[in-house]
Amino acid sequence: MSSVLSFAWRSLVRQPARSTLGILGVAAVGALLFDMLLLSEGLVLSMRDMLDRMGFDVRVTASEPLPGQGADIEHAPGAKRALEALPAVRSVTSVRSEAAVMRGNGISVPDAMFISVDGPTHPWTVTDGRDIAADDEMVVNRFTADTLKLSPGSVVNISASCGGRAEAPPRTDFRVVGVVTIPFEAPQRAAGATTIPGLEAACGGTRAGIADFLAVASAGDTAAALAAIAAARPDLTPFTNEQIVGRLQQGGFAYFRQISTVLITVTVSFALLLITVLLTVSVNQRLGEVAALRALGFSRRRVVLDVFCESALIVGMGGLLSLPLGWVLAAALDDILKRMPGIPEQLHFFVFRPDALVVHAALLCATAVLAAVYPMQLVARLPIATTLRNEVIG
Amino acid sequence: MSALPSSTIVEATSVTRQFQMPAGPVFAVRDLSLTIAAGAYTAIQGPSGCGKSTLLHILGCVDTPSSGSLTFDGQDVARLRDHARSLLRLRQIGFVFQRFYLLPMLTAAENVELPQAEAGVSKPTRLERSRELLEYVGLAARAGHRPSQLSGGEMQRVAIARALANRPRLLLADEPTGELDQATGEHVAALLDRVNADGTAVVVVTHDSALASRARRVLTMKDGRIDRETTA
Ligand SMILES: Nc1ncnc2c1ncn2[C@@H]1O[C@H](COP(=O)(O)OP(=O)(O)O)[C@@H](O)[C@H]1O
Ligand SMILES: [Mg+2]
Repeated sequence: MSSVLSFAWRSLVRQPARSTLGILGVAAVGALLFDMLLLSEGLVLSMRDMLDRMGFDVRVTASEPLPGQGADIEHAPGAKRALEALPAVRSVTSVRSEAAVMRGNGISVPDAMFISVDGPTHPWTVTDGRDIAADDEMVVNRFTADTLKLSPGSVVNISASCGGRAEAPPRTDFRVVGVVTIPFEAPQRAAGATTIPGLEAACGGTRAGIADFLAVASAGDTAAALAAIAAARPDLTPFTNEQIVGRLQQGGFAYFRQISTVLITVTVSFALLLITVLLTVSVNQRLGEVAALRALGFSRRRVVLDVFCESALIVGMGGLLSLPLGWVLAAALDDILKRMPGIPEQLHFFVFRPDALVVHAALLCATAVLAAVYPMQLVARLPIATTLRNEVIG
Repeated sequence: MSALPSSTIVEATSVTRQFQMPAGPVFAVRDLSLTIAAGAYTAIQGPSGCGKSTLLHILGCVDTPSSGSLTFDGQDVARLRDHARSLLRLRQIGFVFQRFYLLPMLTAAENVELPQAEAGVSKPTRLERSRELLEYVGLAARAGHRPSQLSGGEMQRVAIARALANRPRLLLADEPTGELDQATGEHVAALLDRVNADGTAVVVVTHDSALASRARRVLTMKDGRIDRETTA
């Protein structure tokens, strides 16, 4: 087998321009293919990763699972206590956020995200300073810190809109104690977080006691926690992270999968045609040689295998080359897509997963085989005597 | 096949090869019988289109007669499947072509090695045999050269070495000097003489009468039949 491979290798080297064209073609197609595979599940995986990093595994809402949608939970402190009493639940954190105007150092940003939590789960990561410990303390994201020139110790002033009431909200001062990154935060969007009493004070008591959702960390068994919550509070709807991702997958995120399926089909067909044409042209140019080898006793199997090995080498080398190429391309495309407004910083469209490599390899293997079918048939069915004769006459 | 003399390599009995063409059937070979004995030296000559190549291809088991029978070493070739025929050609028959058909990406020595590799000969034996054969055809010094670095005559000598690689009993050559000038052609012809003298049966198709006259038996074909036969 190794001698057949090295024979095929030499046949490729013999026509360096054509072989290079084939390999580069497969590399380009393979890179696109790889990217489409990363794209097909990328958003979902990225979303899942972000949810998991927030530190809870069940999200309890009044109705709808998606953040920022649906009705608020009324009487959230009572609901929180009821859930905390369940043995399957380790901790519960209420989360409420409102739009706000933030001011600091004479600069103001409208439409900032003003988050508040009550509980042990703080869905952010402190990168500078420390986390909030009192109701008049606040952490802000990097964009806010940079825009308002804030650092731990500065004072930030908030006017929250608190449920869209027209009346002018009070202006409240908070002490900045840290800078954080918040999952789902968009770049170029100001965000800050404090405690629920802190936010309620800034809202002047408007709609006190509500929460957007309750973030529940189970005692270890997500399904048990889900069941217990559903039984204890049928008025609320609990969702696991997986269910949320599942909803997204059936919804808008499905488009990415459909687009990538179409593009995968197109790119693979292109690779198939390219390699078939290259191999067919190459085989046609050496029919005389093939007939001579057959006359000298080379088996049909052997000459067919030669063509197959050439296909495998072109696709194999192109495929290997396509991975680094695809990686770079995915990073560039991800960058472009993330420039769309409102895309969270930590969300990615192209996400690597090991089975993308497996599917990539499998699709390319199938391409190598299918692309070789016609040229293999050509040499398998070659009439030896007629070919030798035609070559001399022609 | 009762009375086959033990020295017969290939025997064609009433073979006809016809090609179905739009304008009607073309008979390349008609009802032709021929025996090639071990160690014989046979030339086939005749005008272009008289069926020489077709006959050679039938004798070499790369073409199948439309009717009649062909036996090789007493076996009915028509009964052999493609794989068995390939093996038969690989081990018993050597082919030399007008156009040489050396593989351009391989050196002279590698070209000679190729049929041996296909026959499963071990690498050291292959190397030794290739060296020996290139020496035999007077090209030991060109072992590492590619066909493109060789002259036509040298290429044909490498091709002869390749045809002899698996020690065939029968060497078939179709216009082996067709692409060579006269002096080079004579060199190749002398080599074929030597191959025959060393025990391999040779059948050479040519319209070069100087080459044909070297054979002990000369068949002249006309319209797919043997028109005349002379034996020296
Ligand atoms: N594959 C083929 N298809 C059609 N006709 C063929 C084929 N091979 C040979 N012939 C015909 O058979 C006759 C003999 O051909 P060939 O054996 O090549 O002659 P030669 O070698 O003596 O020149 C010619 O008339 C040729 O046209
Ligand atoms: Mg001819």
